Amino acid sequence: MEEEFQSEYGPKWSDQRVERMLGALVLGVVALLLALILVVFVHGWPSFSHNGLAWFGPGGSVEEELSLISQSAETGSGYIYTFHAWPLIWSTILIAGGSVVLGLITALFISVFLVEFAPTWMSNILQPVVRFLASVPSVIYGLLGVLVLVPFIGNHLISESQKASVAGVISLTGYSLMAAIIVLTIMIAPLMVSIFTDALNSVKPGWLEGSLALGVNRWRTIWKIGVRAARPAIVAGTVLALARAIGESVMLAMLSGSTAFAPNPIDGLIFIFEPSRPLAPTIVKSADQLSSPPAKATLFAIATFLLFSAATFSLIGWATRRSMNKYLAR
Amino acid sequence: MRIKTLAITALAVLGLAVPASAGAQTLIGSGSVAAQPVLQALFKVYEKNNKGIHFTYTADGGNAGIKDVQTGTSQFAGQARTPLPSDAGTTYIKLYLDGLCMDVNPKNKLTNVSVQSLHDIYRGILTNWNQVPGSGLETTIDPVGRDTNGGTYTFFLQAVLNNELPASNVNALTADGLVVNAVKQDPNAIGYAGLAWQKKGIKPVKVNGIACEAKNISVEPLKYPLSRYIFLVLPSTNPSPAVQKFVDWARTSPEAGEVINKAGGVAAFNKKPKKK
Repeated sequence: MEEEFQSEYGPKWSDQRVERMLGALVLGVVALLLALILVVFVHGWPSFSHNGLAWFGPGGSVEEELSLISQSAETGSGYIYTFHAWPLIWSTILIAGGSVVLGLITALFISVFLVEFAPTWMSNILQPVVRFLASVPSVIYGLLGVLVLVPFIGNHLISESQKASVAGVISLTGYSLMAAIIVLTIMIAPLMVSIFTDALNSVKPGWLEGSLALGVNRWRTIWKIGVRAARPAIVAGTVLALARAIGESVMLAMLSGSTAFAPNPIDGLIFIFEPSRPLAPTIVKSADQLSSPPAKATLFAIATFLLFSAATFSLIGWATRRSMNKYLAR
Repeated sequence: MRIKTLAITALAVLGLAVPASAGAQTLIGSGSVAAQPVLQALFKVYEKNNKGIHFTYTADGGNAGIKDVQTGTSQFAGQARTPLPSDAGTTYIKLYLDGLCMDVNPKNKLTNVSVQSLHDIYRGILTNWNQVPGSGLETTIDPVGRDTNGGTYTFFLQAVLNNELPASNVNALTADGLVVNAVKQDPNAIGYAGLAWQKKGIKPVKVNGIACEAKNISVEPLKYPLSRYIFLVLPSTNPSPAVQKFVDWARTSPEAGEVINKAGGVAAFNKKPKKK
């Protein structure tokens, strides 16, 4: 008993112990993160250094380039690194951007409804459901997309003349921008909703009550005061969702289509039915070629690009939040 | 007190990491997705016959499986293609035969297709079903196949495409089951999958006039143009004796032969079961 008492409430050194253990843990995590970034970058460097800025540009077929790269390890006549990632980058921009915009709009309205307008019993049911939806593994969404959404788009929305117009170049079978964006929106919107509702709930009641007392209606109050005060959290949630959208790989590998094709909005509405392949699924689908050193460098270069864009977005998010914090009278 | 809790937690975490049944022997394999249905059936019967032996099999694709054997991550690998120079340090053992069937949707009237037409379809030269005699369709062809991780992809590349890359309109999916599913759901699709996948909802077509059936595949010389051996790949040095015992059983025993045929493969070397 005595011993236990001492270790629970004993003199300083138990405090120090906690401090040091937690500190070591944090340092370890940071070191691990730095090592991770460093390893990925070092492995990917040959691909960047051989291509220069052309790495990010268009030109040639990604499939043929990847196949030449991975085979060059076996021919013995020197490694080939030529790689132009633009179709993959463009597909990532279209899919991640499209779903974040769609998700932001829907999530904002859903959370305003949940916080301000839904009856208590309804929001008591919906909020846990939203939290659950945010944690569903992406492969389940991928399976649902393959079994339900893709055949629906392929058999009902795409016409034979549309298919014939691009025959031989790409197949319009339902594996499309549209399928990818819809499912990705469903995946990331709950994440945004749960962050937005928390933020709207923590807006100072006095501000909202003051506005209502002045005779401003509920919609204008929540929109002009609640949403405005919650802006830093809205930015944070959006950045988090964007990072998830950029990094999503399994679901997109199943739904976006497999061709590294750059859908062009100038072609008209047909472009949302066109297949493409973002960066992250390219790593999944080519993981097999890791045994070939130049292919490994190329895949790690893609990973580097993904890591850096995710880091950039979280920095931008942090900067935006900082500039908005002045609206928060805390 | 806290230290005790921590120590117990750490021990518990360690305990979870160690395989639950330390006394039993676990054989670790990985590789071909095409071989998975048959291998799993064989594992099940073998585990029942030999108490204490347990299998885990990760279907990460034939080429990845070879790499696992080379690095020692796996004790054996399933493989659907013939050896390549990059497979150094591994030994291929013929386990059973498999036919890569060409499948279309049941709404498609196609019954026979030549290897040349298949080549042209997957190279993007033939794009409409009216260019393929016998289909009764006037629509655009939706060719589906595997991504480069699949053993069937490599086999198809060698057997049909003369090692040329498939055209950009070929939809490369991540698993054999997804290829079958795509053909099931799309009347205009054509895809390839092993004999083990031939079930309701898809229609195998003859290739060069020969049906994708067990009897055309099992008799040497292999009549069917797209037939192949499924291999079990072991490390050349110090293969696990337990795995070798399993391989001997799977290759020769009549019981294993029945299991292979039931699971959709074609037994190649197993003795015929005695008539009762």
